[in-house]
Amino acid sequence: MKISAAVQHWIVPVALLAAWEVCGDAALLPRYLPPPSQILAALYEVAADGELLQAVSISLYRVVLGFALGTGAGTFVGLAAGLVPAIRHFFDPLVSFLYAIPKIAFLPIFLLLFGLGHESKIAITAFSCFFPVFIASRYAALSVGKHLVWVARNMGAPRSTIFFRVFIPAAAPQLFSGARIGLANSFVILFAAELIGSRGGLGVLISEGEDAARFDLMFAGIITFGILGFAADRILMTIRRHALRGQIIGTVEQLVR
Amino acid sequence: MMAQLVTQILRGIERWYSIPLLLLLWQVAVGSGLVESRLLPSLLQVWAVLVKDTANGVLPYHTAITLGRAATGFALAAIAGVPFAAAMARSIVIRNLFEPIFFFGYPVPKIAFFPVFTYIFGIGSPSKVAFAFLECVYPIVVTAYLGFRAIPQPLIWTAENMGASPATIIRRVVFPAATPGIFTGLRIALPVSIIVIVLTEMISDSKGLGYYIAVSGTRFEYANVYAAILVIGVCGFVLDRALLLVRDKSVYWERDEDALHL
Repeated sequence: MKISAAVQHWIVPVALLAAWEVCGDAALLPRYLPPPSQILAALYEVAADGELLQAVSISLYRVVLGFALGTGAGTFVGLAAGLVPAIRHFFDPLVSFLYAIPKIAFLPIFLLLFGLGHESKIAITAFSCFFPVFIASRYAALSVGKHLVWVARNMGAPRSTIFFRVFIPAAAPQLFSGARIGLANSFVILFAAELIGSRGGLGVLISEGEDAARFDLMFAGIITFGILGFAADRILMTIRRHALRGQIIGTVEQLVR
Repeated sequence: MMAQLVTQILRGIERWYSIPLLLLLWQVAVGSGLVESRLLPSLLQVWAVLVKDTANGVLPYHTAITLGRAATGFALAAIAGVPFAAAMARSIVIRNLFEPIFFFGYPVPKIAFFPVFTYIFGIGSPSKVAFAFLECVYPIVVTAYLGFRAIPQPLIWTAENMGASPATIIRRVVFPAATPGIFTGLRIALPVSIIVIVLTEMISDSKGLGYYIAVSGTRFEYANVYAAILVIGVCGFVLDRALLLVRDKSVYWERDEDALHL
């Protein structure tokens, strides 16, 4: 008997969920692992009374702004560093030292500077987003083939045309890889920041569920957060596929898809 | 000879001047009272705390705990992840069963599940090591898997033609060809392990550098926060360099000279 690949893809997740549900219903699991059906019910409960929407909009507002600021700054400074040696020499040692430090370690300082509300979360999200984006952009700018630029210059293209029509498209794949890592970082740091010290947001919803021993609520928050992160990544990758049409043919990426 | 030395020193200054420059600006800003010293303690204060807490063993104690947890999670992820990636690349059934878990699970922010980990594994080390394992295993498996799959088929055909056994092919062809990919994954995962451990220690624990930072922050002892950040930075830097050294030794045929050695 031959099982098609598409069916095989679903075997492990479905088996895990089914085992979880069956064991949960038979009360074989500890209280902190409520079965999926209960989690769905809790998800419906918080969605219906608007609590979820409020938490989601707070968290999304923070993560989107933080990501946008961090990625914008990282791309700009990174490209500048790739193009201008003086800027590169200024930022390289700073970044290589700060890169390895978990940015969440700066949270106490951001909390003191910006308080418990939106600002501290946005600032630390942008801060943690900046570094991978900077590195990818810097590397991208340096690796743009000189010949491409020479050819364009030879044909008399003005500098702005070379920048927008040659340089940016050539650097784009790596810019997107940097943005993708930055996006993942944004969600991680936002979640940790909301758990440690925050007013409002999904992290608070989750820790409230935990404190009240409402584990179904905790899981509802966790799953919502997971879905948000996943969806954000998918949106970025869709944009990327449209922006890089023709550039991903014949690469490993196509092999995997 | 002399001129060479001078150019070398000048290049060194050109490459590294920004760190001392910023430190100097920091010291001047705090020393002159432009910035309140509660928020930004002076460098000398940070240094004093660093020396004091190193001498009385507090920082080394927390550092050892954090690094021990990070190393355990990272090592477990590498030991389990690389062979698993190889299996996924070689067997179609395993690939079909597990590829969605890795490729769909990759962008899910796994930190959200940490509260569940603390219930399953307890508040102390096990939940943190298990969580570091989960966070590290993703980049290791995905990059190693891509590395294994990108091996040019002619290499394997050639070895088969020359009568090499499957075991020899795996040992002498497949693994060496995939090594650069494996190291890329390890290099992504190494800082992840440290980040995740510090992060989870900040969320809930009573030891480790993350705890040290969180407690110092709530006590408004910001010099201690900066001292711990400095320790983490140095550890991360040294570990990354060490991994890079191992990489260049094992992948001696493909040194990445232009790569930013961050």
